[in-house]
Amino acid sequence: MSGDRVAVDTAAVWPDDVEAEEGVVVNWFAREGRAVNEGETLCEIQVEKVSVDVPAPKAGELVEIVLGEDDEFVKGDTLAWIQPS
Amino acid sequence: MPSTAVLQDMYEDMVTARYYEERLQEEYLEGKEPAFDISAGPIPGELHLAAGHEASGAGVCQHLRAEDTVTAPHRPHHIAIAKGVDLKKMTAEIFGKQTGLGKGKGGHMHLFDPEVNFACSGIIAQGCPPAVGAAMANKKRNTDNVAVAFLGEGAIDQGAFLESLNLASVQNLPVIFVVEDNDWAISMPKDRVTDVEDGSQRAAGHNLPGIRVDHDDAIDVYEAAEEAIGRARDGNGPTVVEVQVHRRMGHFMGDAEGYRPDEDVERHKARDSIERLAAVLETHGLTQDDLDEIRARSERRVEEAIDWAKEQPLPEPEEAYENVFTNDPSGVTESPPAASPPGGDE
Amino acid sequence: MSQAVAEERELTMSRAMVEAIASEMREDEEVFVMGEDIADYGGIFGSTQGLREEFGYDRIMDVPIAETSFIGAGVGAAQAGMRPIVELMFADFFGVAMDQIYNNMAKNTYMSGGSFSVPMVLMTAVGGTYNDAAQHSQTLYGTFAHLPGMKVVVPSNAYDAKGLMHNAIRDDDPVVYMFHKRLMGLGWMPSPEGPKVGVPEEPYTIPFGEAEVKREGADATVVTLGLHVHRALDAAEELAGDGIEAEVIDLRTLTPLDTDTILESVGKTGRLVVVDEDYRSFGVTSEIMAVAAEDALADLEAVKRVAMPDVPIPYSRPLEQEVNPDAEDIATAVRDVQ
Repeated sequence: MSGDRVAVDTAAVWPDDVEAEEGVVVNWFAREGRAVNEGETLCEIQVEKVSVDVPAPKAGELVEIVLGEDDEFVKGDTLAWIQPS
Repeated sequence: MPSTAVLQDMYEDMVTARYYEERLQEEYLEGKEPAFDISAGPIPGELHLAAGHEASGAGVCQHLRAEDTVTAPHRPHHIAIAKGVDLKKMTAEIFGKQTGLGKGKGGHMHLFDPEVNFACSGIIAQGCPPAVGAAMANKKRNTDNVAVAFLGEGAIDQGAFLESLNLASVQNLPVIFVVEDNDWAISMPKDRVTDVEDGSQRAAGHNLPGIRVDHDDAIDVYEAAEEAIGRARDGNGPTVVEVQVHRRMGHFMGDAEGYRPDEDVERHKARDSIERLAAVLETHGLTQDDLDEIRARSERRVEEAIDWAKEQPLPEPEEAYENVFTNDPSGVTESPPAASPPGGDE
Repeated sequence: MSQAVAEERELTMSRAMVEAIASEMREDEEVFVMGEDIADYGGIFGSTQGLREEFGYDRIMDVPIAETSFIGAGVGAAQAGMRPIVELMFADFFGVAMDQIYNNMAKNTYMSGGSFSVPMVLMTAVGGTYNDAAQHSQTLYGTFAHLPGMKVVVPSNAYDAKGLMHNAIRDDDPVVYMFHKRLMGLGWMPSPEGPKVGVPEEPYTIPFGEAEVKREGADATVVTLGLHVHRALDAAEELAGDGIEAEVIDLRTLTPLDTDTILESVGKTGRLVVVDEDYRSFGVTSEIMAVAAEDALADLEAVKRVAMPDVPIPYSRPLEQEVNPDAEDIATAVRDVQ
């Protein structure tokens, strides 16, 4: 059910001491449909000039990528959804 | 203590330089947020701003004439301003315009102004040997003009600097080396890469006098430069002057400075040489209104330069092929006389 | 082809390089990295990102701005049997250290009659397209390929980058590993689509001297490297719309040069276009054309080269765009040889 899906959340990885509330998606390292491990780096975002690796919060299938490369977002937006295995 | 007129002049150079860097930062970041794309916007590429370095350019250049040569590193704007480089053409060059100092070909790291004998370059310590050469020319021509090479504290580890000291010393040339020590070579603090705490000590190893100005203070710089430049003009050879400055805007625009402790950034900002000079000017009788007027004038000048630069046209693509050489590729030959046939007689 | 399947995780070229370096460093204590701003900063172009955290400051060693001394030190450490990876921050800076590179690193094996080896990697950032002007935008492929004694590699994507780096570190010879800044996948210098591809988790090597046909075609042979592999592929897409099928060969290595792949393709198409981001004269384009002329003259119908002109690289955007060949320029050249 969609209720089981876990969000890959931008707010969870926001860098410390950066004031900016917006960021941009730089690189995705996995495509929709890929089985991912917990902690595996899924994508790279950039907030101000700081680059951040975003880990998978849970092991499972990367079922939906919401924000693609070059998409801009605000803190708290969801990057993608994982269906835990 | 310099005269009030000199203090005012230095203050104006410093305020102009600071405002210039602040405005360039704004112009540079346009089109580059939130995704920082280095090649986007009106000023693409790298930009190394000198906010925090103002005392060095102002204090040294007070003693220089248009005929004196200055070479500067990739963080040059404060030096160019103090040296009297054409601010409009310099700005146009930074914006990549056809009427810039280099017709758009050099950009901010490669500013050349022959009117005031100023040049800067992008390779560390690269300006040192040419400054030695300018001093050589001055000596050959029997003038009392001098040359000044500005460099960062990271550059004192580079071969070109060390060789320049030796050559200048052995030939007793009228050249001064001004090391701008802002503690950081990109992400390297000085104590992790340089074998001496005080860069002016390098002078002793080359039989040269060295002066260290510790305090991020334009007047101290002025006085040290007076001694060094005076020595060179009198025919008594080179000096190494190391000047403490601070870096307020990162190594280049886009540098998140993640490697730099916050206390270090704060400590540096507390050393503001502009505020210090303002306080001295007030003891010399200037009022806040006087200082505001200098500031307003400086800001106007910077805005005019930026406005002018923005109105200028970009170069035409075909211009990319021009100015490789000064003369024709074939040189300056006229028709040479016919060679005699081999064997001599007919 | 070498591109891994879609289920694979994909890496940027910089991350693929780092993965290879980390893997070799775990296997062998004697591998270490020297360079400017490589420890906490992770390399100006991301070539050592995260390595200091795993291996410490001793094995990911920041050095002063003193290239002659630290590149030469790399040569010495290598001759003592260690495996240094030395980073020259920008290839353009080779000028201050070239003696150690071309006279020491490249020649000591030969001059010693093989009694000394120099198992060193000299990795360096190359290339323009982001307005860094004449002293920070060069590729200098020809300069390094021309001088004897060093292997020279130029990856164009993450898969090749990892395999070539593993080979470079394990190889007992000096390898100049030239990585294009625009292909690294940096947030502040957006990369084209091509370089980020599937990369296997396990270590693997790609042999030197093996070019790869990145796209097959019968109407023209386009030989290129680095950034221009991607521009050539874009051009090929466009040309296909007009019924012209271009074969794109990614050299991957300059020294040793894979002449067989080039000659085989020229034999098939008869039309050769060489694309290079280095200066036109006396360089890569000249070399490839000479190879074709020497050994496939009868097959050649037409040749064309597309390269940077013989001018210092200008700063201003319209000027840099004029001198750096784009997909349009490549497509035009392919049409010209039809």
